[in-house]
Amino acid sequence: MRAKDHPAMRRYVRRFVPITFVYMASIALATIIIADNAPATALTIGLALLPGLAVLGCLWAMARLLVELDDEYLRMLEVRKMLVATGLTLAITSVWGLLELYSPEIPPMPVFYVFPIWCVGLAIGQLVNRFGFGDAGDCG
Amino acid sequence: MKNRLKVLRAERDWTQGDLADALGISRQSVNAIETGKYDPSLPLAFRIADLFALPIEAIFMRD
Repeated sequence: MRAKDHPAMRRYVRRFVPITFVYMASIALATIIIADNAPATALTIGLALLPGLAVLGCLWAMARLLVELDDEYLRMLEVRKMLVATGLTLAITSVWGLLELYSPEIPPMPVFYVFPIWCVGLAIGQLVNRFGFGDAGDCG
Repeated sequence: MKNRLKVLRAERDWTQGDLADALGISRQSVNAIETGKYDPSLPLAFRIADLFALPIEAIFMRD
């Protein structure tokens, strides 16, 4: 069995792709509908929460992957990717936060960026697996 | 940790895919274990030993 044919991997892709679509579509929708500096209303809060729910869905899909992936080596590759992503996110946001704190010229980083940064970290984790350990897994 | 997995597999004329199927793991995992990139957990090492009907220490050795 190839890694990408593992049932847990296939389920993960089936879950992650539509959730990612909802995430991007709901962000686009909120950006179009909600004007800059619009007052908070039930509509604006509801629209803003939609991508938030999609983020929770992404995290759920990844957690299920780790639970359902019964191949310990493939699971180790996935966990390593997530550790790289978490380390990268903590490093960037922590250092940026300190710069913000002590350098008023540094613009504040919206917390919104934390999840996209973590996803970029997953891609870098994939590269670490491939070039650092000679194996990338097939889970994207 | 070193191992004799490749030799044992070759003796039986099994491909990595055959061994992976017999163990219920991916071919990628078999390759990682054979090449020493990954040391299997104790439960998986026992499954491998059971499959070859050998004690674990006849398959996995200290570096």
